[in-house]
Formats: sequence, structure tokens, C-alpha cells
Amino acid sequence: MPNIISVKDLVIVYADGTRAVDGISFDVREKEFFGFLGPNGAGKSTTIKTLTTLLRKTSGKVSVAGFDLDKSPAEIRSAIGVLSQETSLDVDLTGRENLRLQGRLQQLHGKLLEDRVEELLKMVQLDEVAGKPAGRYSGGMRKRLDLASALIHNPKLLFLDEPTTGLDTQSRAAIWEYLERLNKEEGITIFLTTQYLEEADRLCRELSIIDHGKLIAKGSPAELKATVGGDAITMELKGGDDPAMKSKAKEIIRTIQGITKVVDSDGGVVAYALDASQVIAEVVTSLDRSGIRPGSLTISSPTLDDVFLRQTGRRIRSEELGRKET
Amino acid sequence: MLATNLLTPLLFLFLFSQLLQKLSVFPGISGNYLTYLTPGIVILNAMTSATLSGVSMVNDLNSGFLSKMLLTRVSRPAILLGRLLTDVFVALLQSIITVVVAIGMGVTIVTGLPGVLLILATVAFFELALSGIFLAIGMRTRKTETISAIGGVLFFPLIFVSSAMFPTSFFPSWAQTISAYNPVSYASDVARGLVQGGLTGGTLASAYLMIGFIALVTISATLYQFRKVIS
Repeated sequence: MPNIISVKDLVIVYADGTRAVDGISFDVREKEFFGFLGPNGAGKSTTIKTLTTLLRKTSGKVSVAGFDLDKSPAEIRSAIGVLSQETSLDVDLTGRENLRLQGRLQQLHGKLLEDRVEELLKMVQLDEVAGKPAGRYSGGMRKRLDLASALIHNPKLLFLDEPTTGLDTQSRAAIWEYLERLNKEEGITIFLTTQYLEEADRLCRELSIIDHGKLIAKGSPAELKATVGGDAITMELKGGDDPAMKSKAKEIIRTIQGITKVVDSDGGVVAYALDASQVIAEVVTSLDRSGIRPGSLTISSPTLDDVFLRQTGRRIRSEELGRKET
Repeated sequence: MLATNLLTPLLFLFLFSQLLQKLSVFPGISGNYLTYLTPGIVILNAMTSATLSGVSMVNDLNSGFLSKMLLTRVSRPAILLGRLLTDVFVALLQSIITVVVAIGMGVTIVTGLPGVLLILATVAFFELALSGIFLAIGMRTRKTETISAIGGVLFFPLIFVSSAMFPTSFFPSWAQTISAYNPVSYASDVARGLVQGGLTGGTLASAYLMIGFIALVTISATLYQFRKVIS
């Protein structure tokens, strides 16, 4: 399928000299669900603002929805929908009135507009509260209304800048469901930025990981995770702060067939295996035979955070450190 | 918020005209302080509304609403024009209410309806010229605090060291000199000439020239800043 977004050597330097985006290139195919994953300040919002014509790039070649960014910004704006990080609604107007206003700004009128408004209210499940002022909506409801208003003019390409940041789990799940449906059922191409690993993993079929304005990895979530080298077996060892014991444990584990790699971690070791279930029993008995007892043992599939860790030596967010995905 | 803004000039009108009723006996007031004050309050409306214009712009910028507008099919000049006209409209609405209430309180506008229309035109023009200042500052600093601070520091002396609230013959000579160059005096003199009668072509022409010059500078600055914001 043809590319709906094409970015080559994009550089964005702020007036103060900060290189917010430092020479990135990527393509997004039509109907793709594409994600930009990275920590705060990585350059995600800057990129999205540039692609949506709100911020001027310093150099590079960009085309969006078949139009050149330099030559046809107005045509790009007509073709895309944008959900920005800040939810901006008129709190005095009702949900329905907010959508109508956005529709008029997009030059929709009459029955066409009315039908579209009702259709979208139903889609984001706000039809029952559509007559209430948006100021009385919860954070999640506001985000849903904002999403509906980004879709009012039937864009083929939807940009979302951290759509679920600050939302509770339930609201997040609802947004995810709408986005998946829009992508699958209506064939809308989605470009999303996120700092949440689960979000990128669950939604995106194609990912770029960005850090300090540079792309550090590209591929589908499965491909990216495969680069880490299989399942992670994280072991805490009793008395594991003793370096001699750690190296002994590593030595023992390394000899077991099926183990691809063993590394140090806090209070223990992490072993990687293509299939952890095949080797786990032997790991434990071998250690036990040498008098080393694991205090705790966790098996986890590699996460996108492991990918980030491998590339940068840091984790994306410390809050997600303790969480294991399966 | 709109309701509060509409009521502020009325509050001023009542307070000053009642508290300072005794000013009516002084020369330069022509017998009735309320009649003297009314055109001054009308011009004040232009000034408060202009400050508000800058505050609204900052809010639109910081809330992301401006970006949302910029992403729609609405033409970009229309976005700025919409902001300007909205605030002109607020100033006009405030002024119409002020004039109607003043008439209710016994003020006679000797030039009649044509006079009222010219007063409103003057308010609109003055508001436009002043909002340029605050729109430009707002787009540059993106802080409402800056706008309120500048509004306060600039407007209090401008209002009181002018013919808006009190005849300049009350002032010491240094204040009379400042007042003679103060644009607020020019605008107030036009409005007062229309309320009390006796507006000369010279007063009208010099006021419109002065306001026109301010508008040229401030609207250019606004256009410059707006272009920076949208690119």
C-alpha cells in the first residue's frame, strides 16, 4: 500500500538552539496503525505539530496525505484530523453544540452536519449526555468529545498526541476501543504518540521508538521485542548482593542449554531464553545443587521497555518498572 | 464573565456620579457631573474590553483552542478578525447599556441618535486601536498576568490624567500638559462634545488622527505577532 506519510531527514531546531528533532526518517503506509513511542521530551509532540502544519520544520522533506508540507499546508489540514494533547472545548456549550461548532468551522452544514454529529456522539457513547454542558464532563468524556470533534470532517488520517495521558484505566480502554474500530472498520490511518508501553504494544502494528530527537528502533512490536532475545527470567538471589555468588550463578546458568544470555540486575541476575518454560526447572535445580537459592523468580515476555533499555540503557518510565507484561 | 464585564461600567457610573455629586458646582462640569462623566465611562469601556482581548488571546493560545482553529478550514485572517470584532462588539454592548442607563438617570444627549452613533463609532475605533497592544503583547508573552499588569499600570494613569473623569482645569499644570497629549482625552472630548454639544470638526479630526495612528502601530504589531504564531 502507498505511503500516506513520508518523512525524510526531518530536523526541528527551536529558536533557543534545542535540536528537538534530530534527523529522523520514517514512512507510514495507508490504513496503518502507527505509533511513536518515547519518554517525555523525546520529540514526539514536536514531530506531530510539524506534520500537522502547526510548527515550522528546520529542514527535511515531509509529505502528508499526498501533499508536500512546504507547498500545500492548507490541503494537508483539510485531509487530516488532529487530537492534540490539550483538550480544548467550550465548557459553556453542550457536547452536541461543541461538535456542531467544530463542524461549522470545518464548513459542514445542514442535515449532513446534523447526521454526522449524532453519528459521532453515538460512537463515543456521549449521545445520552450530549445536551449537558461540556464543563460538567469528566476528563475521559471530554477526551471522547474532543476525539469526535477531530473526526467531524471525515479525515482519512488521524493524528493523536498522547491521547490517553492523564486518563483513568476505563477511559483509556474506551479510547483504545474507538481507535481500533476506526482503524479496522473505517480504514482510517492512525498516527499516535504515546509514552505508555502497553498502549503502543496493544494498538500499534508499526512502531518507531524515539529518544532525544532520534529514532532508535523501528518495526512491529513483535519484531522489536524479538530483538531482545526471548523470555526474561528475573531472579533475586538470597545474598545476591555478593558479587562472587552472582558470577557463580551466572556461570551455572550459562551452561544450561536454551539460555541465550545472562546479565546482572539488582540483587540477582536476569537470564534470557527463547522459551523459558523449557529451561526453568533446570535453572532452579542447578542453582539449588550449588547451594544458591533464588528468593524470587519471575518469567516475563520481553516488553517494549526491554527494547528501550537495550538501546538506551534507560527505562521509559520508572513507574512501569515493576510491571510485567505477559 | 460577560455579565460582569457589562456591569462594571454601570458600577463606575453609579459610584462616581453619586459619590462625587458635589463636583457639579464646579466650573468645567456644566452643571451636572453625571452628564460630564457619562462620555468618560463610555471611553473606559473601550479600554477594559481591549485588555480583555489580550487575555482571551492568551487563553486561546494556551488552551490549544487557537491551534484547533488553525487546523480547520477557517481562513487565518478570519481567526484574527473574529477576535478583534468580538471585543469591539463587547465594548459596543457595554457602551450602549451605559448610554441607555445614563439617559434613564437623566442625562440628555443633545446631538440625539446621530450623536450616539458617532460616540459608538469612536468607542469601536478606540477599542480596536488599544486591543492591538494587548493582542501583540499576549501573543508574545503568552501570560495573562503580563496583560493585567500592563493594563493596570498603563490604564490607571491614562484614565485619571485625562479629561475622561474630571475636567483638566482641576489638575496641576504638569498633569494638564500630560492630559493634553493623552489619547484618552482626545477620545473623551469627542464623546463629551457629542453628549453636551459643541463638538468641533477640529476636535473630531485630531482625535481620529491620533487613534488612527495608534491603530496603525498596534495592529501592525499584532499582525506581525500573529504571523509568527501561525508559522
